[in-house]
Amino acid sequence: MQVRGMAQRMQQLGTETAFEVLARARALEAEGRSIVHLEIGEPDFDTADFIREAAKAALDRGETHYVPTAGLRELREAIAASIHSSRGVLVDPRRVLVTPGAKPIMFYTVLATAGPGDEVIYPDPGFPIYSSVVRFAGATAVPLPLRESNGFRVDPDELAALCTSRTRLVILNSPGNPTGAVSTDEELAAIARVAERWDAYVLSDEIYRPIAYEGPAPSFYAQAGMPARTILLDGFSKIYAMTGWRLGFGVFPPELVAGVERLIVNSVSCTAPFVQRGGIAALTGSQAPSVAMVEAFRQRRDFLVQALGEIPGLHCLVPQGAFYAFPRIDRFGTSQEVERGLLQEAGVAVLAGTAFGEAGEGYVRLSYANSLENLHEAVERIRRWCRDR
Amino acid sequence: MELSARLRAMAPSPTLALDQKVKARIKRGERVTPFHLGEPDFDTPVAAAQAAIDAIHAGKTHYTQAAGIPELRAAVAGKLRRDQGLAYAPEDVLVSVGAKHSLYNLFMTVLDPGDEVVIPSPYWVTYPDQVRLTGAIPVIVPCGPDTGYKLTAAALKEALGPRTRAVVLNSPQNPTGAVYTRQELEDLARVIVGHPDLLVVSDEIYEKLVYGTSTHTSIASLGPEIFARTVVVNGCSKAYAMTGWRIGYMAGPRPIIQAAGDFQSQVTSNPTSIAQWAAVEAIAGDQSPVEAMRRAFDRRRQLMVEHLSAIEDVTVMDPGGAFYCFPDVSRRLQRPVLGRMLSSSAELAELLLEEAQVSTVPGEAFGAPGHLRLSYACDDDTIREGVGRMRDLLAR
Repeated sequence: MQVRGMAQRMQQLGTETAFEVLARARALEAEGRSIVHLEIGEPDFDTADFIREAAKAALDRGETHYVPTAGLRELREAIAASIHSSRGVLVDPRRVLVTPGAKPIMFYTVLATAGPGDEVIYPDPGFPIYSSVVRFAGATAVPLPLRESNGFRVDPDELAALCTSRTRLVILNSPGNPTGAVSTDEELAAIARVAERWDAYVLSDEIYRPIAYEGPAPSFYAQAGMPARTILLDGFSKIYAMTGWRLGFGVFPPELVAGVERLIVNSVSCTAPFVQRGGIAALTGSQAPSVAMVEAFRQRRDFLVQALGEIPGLHCLVPQGAFYAFPRIDRFGTSQEVERGLLQEAGVAVLAGTAFGEAGEGYVRLSYANSLENLHEAVERIRRWCRDR
Repeated sequence: MELSARLRAMAPSPTLALDQKVKARIKRGERVTPFHLGEPDFDTPVAAAQAAIDAIHAGKTHYTQAAGIPELRAAVAGKLRRDQGLAYAPEDVLVSVGAKHSLYNLFMTVLDPGDEVVIPSPYWVTYPDQVRLTGAIPVIVPCGPDTGYKLTAAALKEALGPRTRAVVLNSPQNPTGAVYTRQELEDLARVIVGHPDLLVVSDEIYEKLVYGTSTHTSIASLGPEIFARTVVVNGCSKAYAMTGWRIGYMAGPRPIIQAAGDFQSQVTSNPTSIAQWAAVEAIAGDQSPVEAMRRAFDRRRQLMVEHLSAIEDVTVMDPGGAFYCFPDVSRRLQRPVLGRMLSSSAELAELLLEEAQVSTVPGEAFGAPGHLRLSYACDDDTIREGVGRMRDLLAR
């Protein structure tokens, strides 16, 4: 083919290893091998019936045409009301921008705030897309190590030590992927002071916030003065088991709203209206299915963490939120060796901690968005593999 | 704190103020003849909507492959073979959140800062905006009524330079309705394959809406050399009246499709799962709703052209495709309207809204001042009455 290669920035694009491991696991299954899937971060629950009915009713009404770029007014108002009730923050619905999933909010936020020469601090280990989109945007990605000794929570002093006059954006994720760590209110308050001191924006990814096991997870967005400099990222995928629908949102400081809206109009136009109707139903309808789902996750967490802890040589902190366990496995090899060994030899698909950054070396991530029965089987296979290793 | 340089460089839309005035009027319940709209007034074919409802019932509400479900990528590959004679494998197809999203993913994937992209004007404003967002430079080539608003091989050759990376072709074209003939595309293709590293972005979103003697040809179908240089962009919005579903796609050289798929996977993930199932039905199922819509548009097109042609000092090309007329009003602007001289088609569009309650999009929005875009995605009476009120105003 005669055409030249890709744009330079494409070399900066990382990978989301989960999908690669999934593909390898599927290939083994095609050969007849049995694999327990603990690699994908997706609730195994189905979307609640009343949410599905709301979307279906919208289709029946013919709500299939273009809608405003920023989202349906009713949805933006419902989101603002939900933020008020969940975080005690009054939000102007005009600052809420609805997108097909929450992922686009990450990229839009980075595009809107950072460019070449700017620094963006991101959690390591953390969701791999953060650093990838920062580098893609031409900015410098600065890892903030999360340490097991600190429960994988952000240490505000360590954050302060990384900040410079070039720091434009700090990315936070509590409850966090891949560790399940939840920052305390005091820690978030200290982080807020650091952000003020360096006049940085903060992207607070709170997608896992409702999935917390030791009382409500504190919200960075609720810290005094922070809505003025914080982009709140949230969505419907996890807590309403709506991954395939693609519905998320960001709440932006006023000066970013018009610019980000232009990014949305120039990339996706708008979010499907019948999907948004499902979102309105999710927010305003019964929360019982979500509560039941979190309770199920809690049972699985309790089982998994205890069972992993009983495996000699393996050490696992108790995650306070999200649906991931992040055990230390360095006795058995590098993260990648353990990922490969567990998949090939034990038939358990997990992710190497290094998929989430260099600081993830020595750990693997297990998603417990899977049935208790499968988790039992996975633990048994892991136990045998560790014993024979 | 301030916005990134990238965002500051994105100028607000030249017609944003007018657009907001129109929306405010409609919101207040005032009557506005909506010739500004850019979407079919038909509803989604029943079978496609039913496929989505079936998918909801079947619980197909989880993540899908980021590049689209295999069934849809296969359906698109099958459609491109069936309708355009193009031999793409499903792996050469990337499904995105609307055709605009396909273009955005593509430009992000292939354009470096300083690269040049040839864009014929009148153009859809998204092309230059998206190109600028990547740091690349739109090179606008004006194409007037003398060439039927189409880019000629000679004009293209003139615009090419060492940094030219891509040329955007849009046929049938928004806003003029122009349709390139096979011969015209062959001439362009010859220039393109003679220039190293040049890609063609062929936006064929209005493909199904062609009228009279016009036929749609994909430039990618004109031989293996140009096929290897072309990325075809299309979607469900216009052909199947599925604008709100947000399903578009591109097909092209596999390395580009894979890279664009990686980019989409990172910043968006998959398009809505149930919308993808609706798209499978729309693209691979019964195509008769498309023909019914096309016939209705064709009738309205003739009606609108007939009524616009009756207005003094307004000339209108017979559009061969899409659902727009793009009358040239520059001659009319040389005389006062309602006793005052207007300086631009943007001012005329404002006046039409204020005094005749007719909403149009001025040519400024498409890089072609002196024109108005009128959509005929509305019923016959609306066309007669709206164009009638325009004629009355322009007679004063």
